[in-house]
Amino acid sequence: MTQEDFDRLQALMASRAGFRLGRDRINLAEHRLAPVARREGFDTVEAMLGTLWTRPVASLGWAVIEALLNPETWFRRDRAMFDTFATELLPAIARARPDGLVRVWSAGCSSGQEAYSLAIGALDTGTHVEIIATDLSQRAVERGRSGVFSAFEIQRGLSARTMLRWFDRADDAWVTRPALRDAVRFARHNLMDAPVDAARFDVIFCRHVLGDMDPQKRGQVVDGLERRLVDDGVLVLGTDERIDGDTIAFRPVGGRPGLFVKAPSALSRAA
Amino acid sequence: MDVRTCLIVDDSRIIRKVARRIVEGLGFEVDEAADGIEALSHCAGLMPDVILLDWNMPVMDGLTFLRRLRATPGGDRPKVLFCTIETAPDRIAEALSAGADDYVMKPFDSEILHSKLSEVGAV
Repeated sequence: MTQEDFDRLQALMASRAGFRLGRDRINLAEHRLAPVARREGFDTVEAMLGTLWTRPVASLGWAVIEALLNPETWFRRDRAMFDTFATELLPAIARARPDGLVRVWSAGCSSGQEAYSLAIGALDTGTHVEIIATDLSQRAVERGRSGVFSAFEIQRGLSARTMLRWFDRADDAWVTRPALRDAVRFARHNLMDAPVDAARFDVIFCRHVLGDMDPQKRGQVVDGLERRLVDDGVLVLGTDERIDGDTIAFRPVGGRPGLFVKAPSALSRAA
Repeated sequence: MDVRTCLIVDDSRIIRKVARRIVEGLGFEVDEAADGIEALSHCAGLMPDVILLDWNMPVMDGLTFLRRLRATPGGDRPKVLFCTIETAPDRIAEALSAGADDYVMKPFDSEILHSKLSEVGAV
């Protein structure tokens, strides 16, 4: 791939996905795009990109974008947060809702480990939840929906007891049991798109997503999350992630790294 | 804080070497045993904080070792992680009910071992 190809890839990732493709990522991009080129019937990555630049961004463009996103995830990543979710957030919010239903959004879910970890917490505590998991990558969403994980993936973050309780072995892989799979609904969604419906959530997990984003686009994405969150809801980021430079809509919860609530200025403009 | 100790019990020298590198990287002081009898005599002298335990070994297998260990005074203290190629759910359940704290299917890498050791509270 030429430097010019890479410059255009950077621009494509920033404009469509809000993703910051670092200058040092040219080899990684080449490596990730090789299988996409093969799948799409091109002899080389350069040939594929040559075609891509002459066309509007359609399925080929999105296949390229998906391949360059950061898919890194594992079960119960930052494990303390999942205990906080199950033992503190869920009971507190369920008590505050007349129907006891807690709506949860795993935003940027990749292959679904986070959403299933949340669902396990909810099912173990008997809380009535609705969990929506979304990602920009259609392939990641389909993987998540399939609920199939390799022996490496299933062991990263899950104890063997939890694995046996919620997954069945199928050949070399482990498959989510129906009760777990049914607890999570997967959909493709671009966090760059403004909300077009009225769906609101009590808890939004958006972890290790903003850190990979173009700083110019982060504020817009955080504001979109704010609009999706009910006034007394909680935003959960990665334990080391900060957003104070991107927004005034949220404030961190003191002493609870990763937890954010709406700032007074963001509360119910409609009220 | 005292140095944490880990005993690696596996009849494969290569596996012991790989596992040793990983747990040393996590700050453990490591000893090795090639079968359950060696491991028991080690534990009689110095009870480790963590034991990584293979299942199929000559002389004494991992499950027999584990049952003997748990019946030994102080033998309830070590966190025991089975590390074996056995992936059948009923075998995993058998190992857990014999007193293993967690179970690792081979092959494993440092991320898996680190995550399993955190899950049992050993790191």
